[in-house]
Order: sequence, then structure tokens, then C-alpha cells
Amino acid sequence: MILIKCPYCGYRDQSEFTSGGEAHVIRPKNPQSLSDKDWGEYVFYRNNPKGIFYERWVHSHGCKKWFNVVRNTATDQILKVYKVNEKRPDLSEFENTLKSPSGEPLVGSGNFAVKK
Amino acid sequence: MTAINNDCQYISKNKISFTFDGKIYSAYDGDTVASALLRNNVRLVGRSFKYHRPRGIYTCGIEEPNALVQIISEHNEPNTRATIKRVYDGMEIISQNRWPSLRHDFGAINNILSPIFSAGFYYKTFMGPKGFWKNLYEPLIRRSAGLGKPPKNFRSKSTHQYHNTDVVIIGAGLSGLAAAKKFINTKYKVLLIEQDCYLGGILKNSNKVKTINELTPQEWISETEELILNSKNITILKNTLVTTYNFTNHLIALEDKFAGKKIELNKSELTLHKIRTSNTIITNGHIERFISFRNNDLPGVMLASSFEKYIHRYGVVPEKEPVIFTNNSSSLSLLKKLISLGCKPKAYIDSRKKDNIETEIKKILKDNDISFFSDAEIEGCDGNKKIETITIRQGKSFTKLKSSMLCVSGGYNPDIHLFTQSKGLVKWDKNILSFKPDTPFQKTITLGSTSGNYNFKKLCDEINEKLSILKTKKVSLDINLNVPNKFSINELWETKKKNNSNWSKSFIDLHNDVTIKDLKQAITEGFDRIEHLKRYTTNSMGTDQGKISSINSLAIVSKMLKKEISEVGTTTYRPPYAPLSFAAIAGRSTYEFYDPERKTSIHSWHLKNNAVFEDVGQWKRPWYFKASENETMYQAVQRESKMLRENAGILDGSTLGKIEIKGRDALEFMNLMYTNAFSKMKAMTSRYAMMLGEDGMIKDDGIICKISDQHFIATTTSSGAPKVLADMEEYLQTEWPHLQVFLNSITEQFSTFNISGPKTREIMMKVFPDIDFSNDAFPFMTFKNFDYKETKIRIMRASFTGELGYEIYIPPKFGLKLWEEIFSCGKEYNLIPYGTETMHLLRAEKGYIVIGQETDGTVTPIDLNYNWMIGKNKKDFIGKRSLSRPDTSREDRKQLVGLSPINKKDIIEEGQHIVELNELPKKITNPIKYLGHVSSGYHSPNLNHSIGLAMIKGGKNLLGQKFFVTATGKTKNIPVEIVKPVFIDPENKRLTS
Amino acid sequence: MTNILSIPGVKVSQKDYHQIIIRGNGLEKFNNTIEEKTSIKPPSKNLEIKYDLNYLFAKNSFDQWSLILMDKKEHHQILNLVSSINTNENMLASDYSYGQVYFEIEGENKDYFINQLTHFDLREEKFPKSTMAQTIIARIDCSIYNLGNKFVITCNKSYEDYFQKRLKDSALLSNAS
Repeated sequence: MILIKCPYCGYRDQSEFTSGGEAHVIRPKNPQSLSDKDWGEYVFYRNNPKGIFYERWVHSHGCKKWFNVVRNTATDQILKVYKVNEKRPDLSEFENTLKSPSGEPLVGSGNFAVKK
Repeated sequence: MTAINNDCQYISKNKISFTFDGKIYSAYDGDTVASALLRNNVRLVGRSFKYHRPRGIYTCGIEEPNALVQIISEHNEPNTRATIKRVYDGMEIISQNRWPSLRHDFGAINNILSPIFSAGFYYKTFMGPKGFWKNLYEPLIRRSAGLGKPPKNFRSKSTHQYHNTDVVIIGAGLSGLAAAKKFINTKYKVLLIEQDCYLGGILKNSNKVKTINELTPQEWISETEELILNSKNITILKNTLVTTYNFTNHLIALEDKFAGKKIELNKSELTLHKIRTSNTIITNGHIERFISFRNNDLPGVMLASSFEKYIHRYGVVPEKEPVIFTNNSSSLSLLKKLISLGCKPKAYIDSRKKDNIETEIKKILKDNDISFFSDAEIEGCDGNKKIETITIRQGKSFTKLKSSMLCVSGGYNPDIHLFTQSKGLVKWDKNILSFKPDTPFQKTITLGSTSGNYNFKKLCDEINEKLSILKTKKVSLDINLNVPNKFSINELWETKKKNNSNWSKSFIDLHNDVTIKDLKQAITEGFDRIEHLKRYTTNSMGTDQGKISSINSLAIVSKMLKKEISEVGTTTYRPPYAPLSFAAIAGRSTYEFYDPERKTSIHSWHLKNNAVFEDVGQWKRPWYFKASENETMYQAVQRESKMLRENAGILDGSTLGKIEIKGRDALEFMNLMYTNAFSKMKAMTSRYAMMLGEDGMIKDDGIICKISDQHFIATTTSSGAPKVLADMEEYLQTEWPHLQVFLNSITEQFSTFNISGPKTREIMMKVFPDIDFSNDAFPFMTFKNFDYKETKIRIMRASFTGELGYEIYIPPKFGLKLWEEIFSCGKEYNLIPYGTETMHLLRAEKGYIVIGQETDGTVTPIDLNYNWMIGKNKKDFIGKRSLSRPDTSREDRKQLVGLSPINKKDIIEEGQHIVELNELPKKITNPIKYLGHVSSGYHSPNLNHSIGLAMIKGGKNLLGQKFFVTATGKTKNIPVEIVKPVFIDPENKRLTS
Repeated sequence: MTNILSIPGVKVSQKDYHQIIIRGNGLEKFNNTIEEKTSIKPPSKNLEIKYDLNYLFAKNSFDQWSLILMDKKEHHQILNLVSSINTNENMLASDYSYGQVYFEIEGENKDYFINQLTHFDLREEKFPKSTMAQTIIARIDCSIYNLGNKFVITCNKSYEDYFQKRLKDSALLSNAS
């Protein structure tokens, strides 16, 4: 039960939120011009890395607003919360230092991550 | 033989009685089941899990692996730790896992068969022959599995209590109390949690500490407790065990509100505390570990500090002349206490070399003429259902002693369970030969023995230093000891057997009956990773989680693999720390509170009129109305359906979702969210609309009312309402923030009545005499607003039954009155109420789809022949692009058709398959070609035969053809004709006149 | 006003009020319109509430306000106010008058009592006086308003029965022990 900081309501229990999957997946401006393959990528494919992940959450049992979160999926630490209209933080801002407690290697060093 | 310690202040003088396996025993108020049994010289309390070996009381705490009993006088609570459960007067207890009795257990045959029950037994056996698993093995295993019997069926009254606090201190022993003292009357809100009903920890479980700040330990505890109780910011929770340490400093703790008392059924017996804190201080101490030797499981073997705890905490000396076997310096305090009580241990065996043993120990042993073996170990013990003989090995010589109790100390493990649950990393400390907390993952601080600090004199500095990150008071602890301060230990995990035999066992896990030999076997078979090894052998997988033995197993395994113990690592400690009842987890969310119920403003009328309800999402909706006591559902639905098409019927549709949409860009937004074209739609008209997912599949449907291009009201399905609103908000907030549109849910703001049938117009004219309901004034699919008494209503002309009908929207406060008024006016026209089942039947007669019945997330509007709902000139809407994907534009997709039975008496059932065969073969050897399924099936009272709606591959091109529908319990299939999916009034004359 | 329960340190009653939910951008034109039509200046800080004996005006999030009117009103007055606000293209007002239920909780043990039904952090520094929050209480989406000596809790009317039962059940069990 992690603690998530809604940018509008403050820190709340995870039970008040619903996960919204990968962030920054922009709906194509002109769907009709896309090939079936490219359109299929937009509809069905999402990244699922082990490690630093840009995702969305919505405060479904609170203010019902969406916002973005940078979370380390291996440790569940929330590294940053930013609003929908704010600039996406660069990957270099975050340090992936902590080894996951079961001793697994860092992101990218093993065969655990699903590569983009 | 037992003796009494009269110094003990924690047991009252009130005598009570209880029964164990049918025999009555006496005890004192404050005793646990274990201390009471020991007081009565009862040593045999259970049979082990696999081998059914006789077992006794091994410890004095939560780490107990053997003394698990069943409490009959409560809810038949199984696997209760006798060492924790307090006795009350009249308690009935039985031992577990034995038949017919504890003394003579038939299961002991397992012990004889034990050579085949080795490691990996569960994985390797029971593979065949075919059919044996279902018919023989499983029933047998089920009958003999587990330890206790399942609990009785009961309605628990466990409650939940949430806390939000700054600091939690887990464990009110010496370190915990000292830490708490630092917080008294500071700005922090503190929760001090203690498992026992008394505070003090090691201070009450032993007499290692002589004075603290010149007070006796008892005086210091009382003084500290008093200060805490008088503070403004610290709360103490007693009888509360922290079981779980979750992310972001979230703790779960279980409070036993009836410790030492019989449960009262009208009160909550357990409270589950859910605590969110900013800082966690873990001071829950250490756990002693055992040593493995031959037959180290016999009743009579007990951990040394547990023996000591029974003396101090419970006032009972389990045995006047025990044998003490140790590899470290801590057993001195036990030795001294026994002497002071006039008891003389039979022998003292220390595995350390004589020069390394404390002078004080050697002196006491000499002065009291106690047999002393240094640089020695226990080879094993023997006896029938209890220890009778102990064999000591010193060098190459063996000595046999007669004794009935053996106190063992293999060292101390800092209790790292909660720390590792919090994802902190641990490190091996070679000074104490155990893992201790190293890198915390969250805001966690460990103090005292939990942090691996066994040095009493250093405790004060440790507490002040580690808590210096918080603004606390400085605390002074001047501790004087009855024992030397330095802790010394010699590595000893197991001793060697004299002879090798298939039946002599040296246990590494007492709960699950795992032996040292099993560990060795598993490694030879290739299970050399600790997580694999654990599961293959079931080592430390019991309800005790191997608290007194798992570190030993890691050390032994690392020696077998010739690796450093830090390389081998630990397995993941998983919550809960101790068994947690499901009743506590559920709390009050059971039975009638299981899920929040939603009721409409007409609910009381439905109850009075014999409605039978169904759950639609969280809503209670009338399913059908019983006209008489004996009327079945089938009869009611047939009656309602017929009456409506002959006269009129009214349905409470308040549960359907309603969303108000307004803004400069509302029209553009609606065009994007739904398939329909709304641009040319006239104001004050309504339209049936469909919402798709981006994958082109139907998500929801509803009726859209256009007030203006900037103002719409959309309805949704009852269970889909929250999702549709959420999806709309998602697109507006994240995808199209440039669209100026606002949404409000107004589902609750209106009671909605759907009234339809040939007589509806007359009824409406009677209820609303001022409104012109003529066809020209009020056409189909239009809506109007009216003043009505003290409020306003909206009436829309639409219906889901295919009959002339209207939907009335009125604020809920006035709903019931209007509903009753409608019935009063409708009486002469035979107006009936109808429920959701009739609604489903009537719409099926018209071929109207129901989301979730004809659709299942894989159906597009084109599959349903709803091409007319797709705005042809719309450039884009959610799902449009996906409608032209290769898969969505296939000709052989499942498409909506109607089914009409060739024999009018046949019944078409929902969910059945459509096939080409008129009869199923007796033995099905090849898969039968599957053409589709029946999505809706009803007996129509208006047509007098069964009808169906179905999704069939390429259905659009199969009209007029004959196929077959399977039927329950029959091999002969039902011949049907594929027809257009509309059975009544295909020209919609009734609807639009 | 109905008395729901009364145990040592906790008193819960239920009232009937009128309510409007307003969506808008909170800029100058919005504020002026609201002040003109309701005679109350809307709160500008997120989660802030303004109240007196007759009204409770809250800002639920950056584009949503809730106005609860506690003095006696006719429904026509409310509906007129709603239509009047809706003449403004950039705003949406919806009448919430009869679709919500309103509970008031007071007493020195109210925090502990409510924390049997919700995880929400009621401490003063996290939920100060004159603020509101939307959260889950007794598994239902609720709004909670901190008026200092009492809380006002609102939720959808369809949950009324369940919510009352949960409150009473909690009181019964905490009182018994």
C-alpha cells in the first residue's frame, strides 16, 4: 500500500488511486493515415520495463484528476510526481542506485527487462 | 519435576481450571496454555506434521514450532500457539494431528515409513497411475493434511482501526521503552506497540539486568510506563502484534481484545490496526535459535532462554534439574537463577573451549558441584515420547546421563523479520554469528538486540545517536548487570550422529519435519539456490516460518556448498509475521456489509410490492415482481411481459448513469467520444449512441439528449456509468486539454421512470394534464422540460421495450410521490411494475442489444449491423481507425442474428452453441465446428414460442438458413432458422405513433 | 435533522441541504459571475472552504467547486440559480440538491471514530480547519469538510442506507468494548 502524492490533494493511500499505465503515449493526430501496424502499436503495445518507468495515475476516489509519476518498478519507489501539463523529467535526473532487495542486478544489466 | 518461582509478579493468585484432551487441570489467571501445562508437568502436547513424532513445548513465545493446539471453546481456533494463548477459566483445549489419541497416535506409522518421505517427496510422488490422483491420492491427502481441524462457522466481529502517526515503536522492551522516553511530550505523535500484556521485554523475561538508573527493572518499567501514560503524545497498544511492514511505512498490527478471557459474541474480539507512520523504530528484540542433534525434537528439549522466561514471566520452573547445552555466554543468567531457587542443573555442556568460558560460569559450576563438560556437545537424546537419556560427546568419549529436560542455546538472532519485510538489507555479523539489519529501505531505525547490539552498556549511546535525526529529548540509561556484558559465541549448528541410521533424525525444521539429511539430499539433487531449497524441502515454510531454525539452515547449507553465508543469502521474509486470521483481515466488510449497496428513492415501494432484487453493479434493482406468494420468476416475467404489450408497464430506471456535458467544444467532444454524428442533430432531440474503445470494440451505449451544441446530457448503462465518466475525464484531461468542456455526473440527481405500452399516452395525460402528448407535439426521440409542483421535470419520448413509451426524470426527493401518483392514475389501465428480467425479454423481442450480453469486448458496431450509428462524414472518433483493421473488417466475424425455433415448443437457451449437426455424437473424438453462441434466449409470451439472439460467424449472410442449437442435458440439438433479429413490430409502428 | 447516533465523545446527525456543483476555470470572469449570482466570492485556494451558518463553499480541485446551501430554500430558487450560471458558456452548474446526503460528526473522539471507517489522515496538520477533502469512507466515495469542531461528510444518496448502517455498527462495537 504505497503512498502517492496527488499534486492537488497531497499524500494519499494507494487505495484512492487507479493506475493508468504508461504515460506520454500520445494519440496520433491523424489515425486514418497510419498503417495497420503503426495503429496497432498505439492501441495494443505498451512498455513494461524493470526500473524507471513513466506512468499515469488518476485519483479516482478523490479529486478524479490525472497526473504523471516516475516510479522505479523494481523497488516501487516513487521518484517524481508531475502534472499532466508539466514537462517530462529527463531520465538522467534519476539515479537507480538501490539494488532490489532480493539481490537482483540493476536495470539493463540482466535479462529481466522487457526492452523497448 | 517442576517448581515454583514465587518472585514472579505477572501471574495472579486466582486459580482457574481448563481441560486439555478432556482432562481437567488447574492454572493461574495470567498463565498461557504452555505455562499452565508445564505447571502440571504435562510435557507431551502434539504430534509433528509429517512423521507424527511426539512433541512438547519448545519455546516460550511466538516462535513456537510444536506446541500448536486447538481451542474448542472458541471458534475451534486451530494451530494456536500454546506459548502465547492465555488461559481463561473453563477453556477447552485439544491437541492436534493425532488419532485416536496423543499418546497412541496411528499416524506414528509415518515415522516408520519415513525413509520414503524425504525431501521433495511431494513433488516426486503421486504422479500416477492415471486416475489415482482424483480418486485416491487427493481425498487421502485432504483427510490427513494440515495440523488442526477447520474452525467452526462463525460471524466474526473483528474491526479495523486506522492510524496516522509520526513514530511507531514496535516492542516495549528495554530499548523500546527507552526510545519512547525520548519522545515524551515532544511534537511527535507516537504509537508504542507491545505483544504482551505487560511491558518490559527482556527485563521481565530474565534477570540479566540488575538496575537501571539505580532502580530495579520493575521499578524502572513502572516509572517509564507512568510517564508515558501521562504524556500527551504517546499511546500504548498492548496485546498487539505487528505482523506486516509494508511500503511507505505502513504497518499492520493485530490486537487480541480478549486475551485471557472468553470471547463475548456481541463484542469485537480482534482489531486489525492499519498504521501509516513517518518513522518506524523496530525494537522487537531477538529470538534464540536451537542446535540440531539426534532426536532434538523429543518432548523435554526446550530453548534455554525460553526456560528462563517461564521462570521469570510465568513463575514456573519446568524442571528442577535440567541439563543445559550451550555454545555462548548468555546461559549464565539461567544457571544463576536456578541455583538461587535451590535447583541444581544435572549438567552444563558448553561447546566452547574451557579457556574461552567466563570465569564466573566456571566458578558457579565448581561451587555447586555441577557436572561440567567444556569443548563438548550433545550427540543425541533418547526416550519413549520424552527425553530419558542424553548422550554427551567430549572429544572421542561419550557420557550418558539420565534427565527429562534439556535446555539448548545455539545463539541469538536479531529479529529481522519486520526489517526485511520493509525491504531493508541485512548483513552477516561474525561477532554474533547472525544476520543483522544493515541498509534500511524506508525510514526504519532498529535499536538494541534487534539491530544486533547485544551490549547493554552501549544501548544508551546507540539510542541517542540513531534517534538524533529527530528532535527528541536526551535520555540516560545507567545499566548495571547481573551477568558479564560481553557476548561470546562459538559456531555450532549441528552435531554429528554416533551411528548412521535411516530412522535417527536430526531436525532442522521442527514444524515441517525437515531433517539435516533432507537438506543434504536436496543439494545433491541440484537445489542449491536457497529459494529453491526452501520450497523443495519445505524448510521454514511452516506457520512458525522457521524462526528458531532458518538461520541455522542457511549456515549449514553454506557450509555444504562451501560458500560464504552472505553469498547464500536469506530467503524473502513474507508477511504476516505470525498467523493472521482472515476474520481480522476482512473486518466488518462481510455479510451485509460485503459491498456497499445502492438503492433508488423508490426502493421502499419495491419492497412493499414484493419485488425480488438482483445486483447490478452495487445497485439493488427489482428483477421481477411477485403478484402472489407462489408465483415463480418464470411466471412473473411472462405475466409482466404480456401485460406491458397489452396495457402498460413502468420500470424504475434511476440506476442508469447520467452525465451532463457542457462547454464551447462540447459538440466536438461528443463527436469524438461516440460513433454517431451529432452536428446536424436538432436541439431538444435524443439519439441512441454507441461508445467504442480505441480497439473498435463496443464499450457502452446510451441515449444522448442535445440541449444545444454546447450542452448535452448522456445516459449510460447502470454498471458502466462510473467507467464512462472516468474515460471521458481521462480524454479531456490528458489527450484533449485544449477542448473547453466540463462534465458532471448527475446519476443520483434524478429518479428515472421508464413507462411504456399501448395505454401509456392515456396514463401520462392523466398524470400530467397540462402537457400535450400528441404525436405531433411530442414526437419520438425528443425531450422537453416542464415545471412540476415545486420542482422541474424532464420527459423524453423513448423506450427500450419497443412500445410507445416515455422516460420521466424528476429529482429523487419528489420521485416516490410521483411514482405513486402514476400508479394511482394507471390503475384503470392495468399498469404494472416490471423488473430487469422483463426488460431484457421485451428488448430481445425487438432485437435491441444489451451491453455485456450481446457484446463482450470483442464486438464492433458493424458486427451488430449498427452501421447506421456511425457518422459517415466524421473524420475521427475513438475506435474509428480500428474498424478498418484486417481483423475487424473480416467477413466471417461473429454477427448478430435472430433465432427462431422450427418446432415451436423447443426452448432456446442462452449460452448454448450453434452447430451444423442435428445430434451430438455419443463420444466426442473430434472438435465440433463452432459457429457461434446464443447471447440471449427467452420464451416470448407475446409470440408464444422461444426466441433467441445469437452471434454467428458470417451471420449476416445466413438469413433463412437452418442450423442447430445445443441444449442442456440432451444430445439431440434444436433445429432453428436464422432470421432478422427483430420479432415484434419490425416497422416500429408502436414506437413512433 | 435526524440523530443518527450518540456515544461518549461522538455524536452523528443527518441534515438536508441544497447543493450545486460548479465547473469552471476559476479566473476573473468566473469569480465575478459566481459572486454576482450567489453573493458569495468563491474560494480560490484548492481544498479551501468558506462557511457560515447559511452556506459552505468549497473548492474541490482546480476546476470544481461545491456550494452547499444550508438555509431553507425552495427547489425553484436553486434551479434558477443553476440555469443562470449555465448561461455562461465557460461554466457548468449542476443541481446536486437531492442526490446527496449530509452527515455531521462532532465530539472529542470523532477522529478516532471516523478512523474505524477510513484510512484518511485527520490530523490537524494534514487536514486543517477550513479545508475539505475527497476520499473513501466506509468504502464509499465521500467529501469531508473540516469546520473545526465538527466534520460534514457527504456522499451519494443511493448509499444512504449502507452508510448509516456502517456508522451505527461502528458505534455499537466501539461502545461495547
